[in-house]
Amino acid sequence: MNKKAVVTGIGVVSPLGIGHQDFWKNLASGNSGIAPMECLDLSKYECKNGAEVKGLNPEEFLGRKGMRYLNKGTKFLGSSVKMALDDANLEIDDELSNQTGILIGSSLGNFSQTTDYFHDIARENPSGLSPMQSYDVALNSSINYASVVFKIKNFARTISSGFTSSTDAIGNALKLIQNGLTKVVIAGGIEQISLDLYMIFYMRKMLARANGTGSEISMPFDKRRNGFIMSEGSYVFVMEDHDYALSRGARIYGEVSGYGSVFAGGRNSDIGKRVEKAGNAMKLCIDDAGLSTGDIDLINANGNSGKLSDLIEAKAIKELFGEESENIPVHTVKSALGESYGASGAMQTASALLSINNGLVPPTINYEEKDPECNLNVVNERLEKEVNTVLINSFDLSGNNSCLIVKKHE
Amino acid sequence: MPRVVVTGLGLVIANGIGVTNAWDSLINGKDGTAELKSFDTSQYKVHRACEVKDFKLDTVFENETTANTIHKYTYTAAREALEDSGLSDIAGSDRERFGVAVGTLAGELPPFEYLLRKAPDDKANGFDMGVALTYPPSSITTLLSEDFGFEGPNMVSLNACSSGNHAIAWALDLLYEGKVDVMLVGGGELIPQTEFTHFHNLKALAPEKCQPFDKDRKGLVIGEGAGIMMIETLDFASKRDANIYAELKGYGMSCDGHHMTAPHPEGAGAIMAMTKALSMARVSYEDVDYINAHGTGTPLNDIMETLSIKSVFKERANEIPVSSIKSMIGHTMGAASAIESVVSCLSIKNSAIPPTIHYKTPDPQCDLDYVPNEGREMKVNCVLNNSFAFGGNNVTNIFSKF
Repeated sequence: MNKKAVVTGIGVVSPLGIGHQDFWKNLASGNSGIAPMECLDLSKYECKNGAEVKGLNPEEFLGRKGMRYLNKGTKFLGSSVKMALDDANLEIDDELSNQTGILIGSSLGNFSQTTDYFHDIARENPSGLSPMQSYDVALNSSINYASVVFKIKNFARTISSGFTSSTDAIGNALKLIQNGLTKVVIAGGIEQISLDLYMIFYMRKMLARANGTGSEISMPFDKRRNGFIMSEGSYVFVMEDHDYALSRGARIYGEVSGYGSVFAGGRNSDIGKRVEKAGNAMKLCIDDAGLSTGDIDLINANGNSGKLSDLIEAKAIKELFGEESENIPVHTVKSALGESYGASGAMQTASALLSINNGLVPPTINYEEKDPECNLNVVNERLEKEVNTVLINSFDLSGNNSCLIVKKHE
Repeated sequence: MPRVVVTGLGLVIANGIGVTNAWDSLINGKDGTAELKSFDTSQYKVHRACEVKDFKLDTVFENETTANTIHKYTYTAAREALEDSGLSDIAGSDRERFGVAVGTLAGELPPFEYLLRKAPDDKANGFDMGVALTYPPSSITTLLSEDFGFEGPNMVSLNACSSGNHAIAWALDLLYEGKVDVMLVGGGELIPQTEFTHFHNLKALAPEKCQPFDKDRKGLVIGEGAGIMMIETLDFASKRDANIYAELKGYGMSCDGHHMTAPHPEGAGAIMAMTKALSMARVSYEDVDYINAHGTGTPLNDIMETLSIKSVFKERANEIPVSSIKSMIGHTMGAASAIESVVSCLSIKNSAIPPTIHYKTPDPQCDLDYVPNEGREMKVNCVLNNSFAFGGNNVTNIFSKF
């Protein structure tokens, strides 16, 4: 008999606030975290908007020691881990440290600091650079930092699978708990905005208004949608073996009970195949949780305002859920928070857990003009409703489709 | 729980391309170290590395930039492993039950470095086209899945020098769970100047050669390459009558939680990784007859690894041969543990173990049988393969004769 995995702590560093309370208050109120970006000079480029993290004081969570050697992403991650542990009222003592792992998804976590370092290498005498300059540059160094600071000794793993990275990390954490390989996992995702990443998306014309027309906002499933808005943040959960959480009297936000992942065949796959594979990932995930489509009472969609990706998702939902798809509420937090690539699955998971606990579905903002091709029941106004079982979709146009089921703890 | 077996192998390393060539070099103690050629080292104190030589680029790559990634070695090794396993044609199979897991330390860096060297001002200009062409790490699994027609889960493990073993462990869990039949697993790396500089400035690089466990060891030699294995459930392999190299018995993970760059001095994390691997594999410390060491040739690692082997293997520590192929192919970072996993399987298959070369002066603090300088023919039934990364990120896996 498999063990169950529950969430007992949530740590959030987001464009809608620091800590899950502010994050939820803003999200549920339909506030947007999207604005002209301040951390990048984009005067030469068409696309200006992003969803940046503001107002984080990492010293509040991590103290002052060593802070000057840490990059932005590591500060995000460290702060959110501390918040999640405090929220879970969990202290990692000597005994628990061997039963606690960390598993984080990130597409290109510290890429920009790494490239800055190489820029110095290329322009200066490289052997004269201080070793401290490369203290926090590898893509997994944020996770190493967290493992050292919080005494995490069971394992540390960074997964990079593009836009589904943190969904895959949470799915992997679920499996490791189910198999009894760990009592606790700090799981989630981390991503930061940098010029390097902006250029990757900008040059590929994936950003909102990259085609030069329309509004530069996130309009998932809306007929006017024209690309995504970049976002950054760190979303981390304390996931525990259910019995362990009960034994210590922990408050339980919900259970992560299913995971499924299917590859759609790469960049050149046609829409039909993508729709089929996205549907298969949802189905695999629902099966994994021992549920059927009729049990799902909310879909927390991938919907990132991409012309093609939203269409594929809508078609896949329609095909899998059939007539039910006209009733089942669908919403996407990316309308307010943007696309946080590798961290998005964790961002959505935070929202799903808080929906369950608050009986509330945050609105998909900017949803005004219905696209007949994306004919879903999109929640565009704050909806009070009992939420028991949420399907979370996480898709990457490069081919990965990963899904999670989060449900109310019984 | 299903048993999991290894049915295909692929290698690209500094002393040989292809499993046959590479094994021949390894067992004969051929050193792959030479002058580093892929970038200018005149401003460094170290000029040597274990680069892959005489490599022919696969036609799958469109141009020099797209090829200038870990993809080129990883793809070649993966293609070899795939063909070796007999799974090149999977028409009629449920493709969603075929997945990919590959580890790398910094696979995303070489193409970026390549572009920036050509146009150094691009960084300030936001790189324009430059960085748009670079790849996120996940592009390697995308390429492999797409090209081989695999439609199951795929992931890139970014866990520094234990990346390859992390990928293998992740895949093994999926196979145990019954969610997939076949996984292509391993690791790849192409020396980034960034990492070379990082190790160089930490004074971790040896000037001439890598001498694991030798008293005069001076550090690691940076290397590159790829090691790929096809692993599948025994049931699936038996039905198609596949050739089996070895059984993958289990893994053990741990994290020192101690320091960003130095290992735990008593090897607490290493001991935990080995102990857990033995436990998952249901193998006694008495059953292991070869240890493929992490053995980087740095003063701290080799003492720590020796201490931890003694702690786990007790009175048997002196009887078990322990060797480090890093003496010949350098430290291939994210690919290292995957390459060593492939070599572990070859040791079982070929009844021989590769030596630790450049071994001259015994170190009283490293007093095990390190298979000095000459390969050894012996029956190998069970291999333990260690990988310990920066940040104290450890994964050990165990293979046994099928």
